[in-house]
This record gives sequence, C-alpha cells and structure tokens, in this order.
Amino acid sequence: MAVEALFAIFIGLSGGLAVGSGLVAFITVLGIIPRLVQLTKTQKAIQAYEIAVITGAVIGSIATLHDIKGTFPAVLTIPVGLAAGMFVGMLAAALTEVLNVFPILARRVGMEKNIIVLVMAIVFGKILGSLFHWIFFVKF
Amino acid sequence: MHQQIYMQLYTGITVQPGQDLYLKDVARLEGEAESLRPLMSVHLYSISRTDKTHVVLDILTILQKIHKQFPEIDITVVGPEQTVIEVTIEKKLISPLMLVLVWFLLFTGAALAIMNFHEDVSMLAVHQKLYTLVTGKQSEQPLLLQVPYSIGLGLGMILFFNHVFKKRINEEPSPLEIEMFHYKKDIEEYLADTESDRSSKPWQSKLYSPYSSD
Repeated sequence: MAVEALFAIFIGLSGGLAVGSGLVAFITVLGIIPRLVQLTKTQKAIQAYEIAVITGAVIGSIATLHDIKGTFPAVLTIPVGLAAGMFVGMLAAALTEVLNVFPILARRVGMEKNIIVLVMAIVFGKILGSLFHWIFFVKF
Repeated sequence: MHQQIYMQLYTGITVQPGQDLYLKDVARLEGEAESLRPLMSVHLYSISRTDKTHVVLDILTILQKIHKQFPEIDITVVGPEQTVIEVTIEKKLISPLMLVLVWFLLFTGAALAIMNFHEDVSMLAVHQKLYTLVTGKQSEQPLLLQVPYSIGLGLGMILFFNHVFKKRINEEPSPLEIEMFHYKKDIEEYLADTESDRSSKPWQSKLYSPYSSD
C-alpha cells in the first residue's frame, strides 16, 4: 500500500514537473512578461511576476482537479474574464508575431504603411468572433 | 596630391525608377571639404525599368567609378561592402477594394481561428468552471465572464503590439515594428549576397575591369 502511494506521488510529481516547466517555457518563448515589463516600466517587479505566474498556475490546477467553490458576487467575474481575455489576446498576438505573419502579409499585399489596419482587422475579428461564439454559437 | 577620404555606404536607400544615382545618394563622405564637393556628384548608376525592385551596388563598382574621374584619391571604406537600393515603383495607391478584401479576409479568419481555438481547448467548460469557482453557482452561459473576456482578448493584442488605434502607449518600438525591420533587413541581406551587382554588368567576374589599372 505504501509502495503504491509512493509510486502515485512519484508519477504525480514528475507529471506536474513536466507540465509546469512546459508552461513556463511556453510563456518565456512568447515573451509576454518582458513585453508587459517594457510597457509598464517595472523591471524591478519581475520576481513578483514570476510568483504571480506560479501561484496562478498552481491555483488553476487545484481548481480544475478539485471542486472548489467561492461565494463571491457574480460581478467579480468581470475583472477575471477581462484578465483572462487579455492574457489570451497577448498569447495570440505573440504567436502571430513569432510566426512573422504581419511583416510577410503586409509586404505581399503592399501595405507596409497600413500595417496597423491589418492588425486591427485581426483584433476586431477576434473580439467579434469570440462574442459570437459565446452569445450565439454555443446555443446550437 | 594625396588626400585621405573616408566613405560609408548608406543602408535602406529608396529611389524612383529613372532616377540617377550620385555618390552623395549612396554614401557618407568624410575628408577635406574642397575635395569632397566634386566627389559628391560622381555619377554611379541610372535606375532603369529593367531593375525591378532592388539594385545592389557594391563597393568595388563605386570605387571604380570614382577612380575613373579622380585617380589620385585614396578612399578608406568604413562599414558594409555593398548597399541594397530599393526601387519604389510609382506608388500606386492600394485600391480601397483590395484593402476591404484583405481586411475582411483577416477579420473572418481571426474570428474563425479564435472560435476554433475555444472549441479546441474546451474554453466554454473552463469558463463555466471558473464562474463556479468564483461565485459558487452553476451557469450554462456565464456571459458576465465571457463578454469581458472577449473584450480583453482584443485589448491584450493591442497592448502587445503597443497600438491603441495609432496612439502610442509609450515611445519604444513595438514588436511589430522590430519584426518589420528585421524582415526588411533579411531581404536586403539575401539580395546583397545573391543578386549580382547590376551596375557593373560590363565587369565580368573572371575578366579584368577595363578601367582597372592592372
């Protein structure tokens, strides 16, 4: 029994280690944190941001694996949703940037001066696509 | 008379088709003022219709042209050995139709991509769970969470690219501008290495230049 428990602990720990380091590597490659630091000029708070990412990941994983329920008013989901959306938006932006989508596209269609127009097309597409998804699409 | 002149080629020059290129257009010169003035107007190359989009001028061709007129001048070259000149074909404005087409394409694509992403990662289930996590109540469609989420999605992208409808949040270049810069640099580097120097066509690689001294 004890051996089985130890083995389960070992598997859980190693699995978590792999997933956790993968998550950190992913966030690092996309350079979201440096970008936020650059925007807000808070180089000194990097350690705090690391802790934020780690605690967020740990709480998220605990919350998905176990049924934890808070008793906060529903209005509180507004900032949570906004933050979640902004993070995904930054992920998406970083991904298109890593893949070099905009420079190539802008050059191909000869719109290097209007590149912001192309970015806004994607931004509005994401917002409206997402709204459409939640408000209408999921009801089908 | 021995004069020492230093020369550095510009990078990222753009010209119009049919334009004549003089030394002052492609290089910075440093030396005695009187000896620089005639050098500035040494004719290097005329952009013709056949030059398409880029012309590569290399330093030997430029030196050859200079020495033809001023054989006694001694030039020290600083920096790159060739310069890539971009020929801007008469700026035909992008037709509004094209713009609308590309815009609509990207718009629809982005919308579809985000929906695919949401389905892929079961975002709805996560949102429902998140809603329960905060409020303790079940909700099939937690719009109070999802609408801010959708708005935040756009905000995050704008934040990353450092553009709020053309207005800057701060003055540092955005990743997009850096990426555009790198992309342009890569093209120039590629052209400088692969494209033969168009201005020196009579100068065959294995033959001696007709102008060179030996």
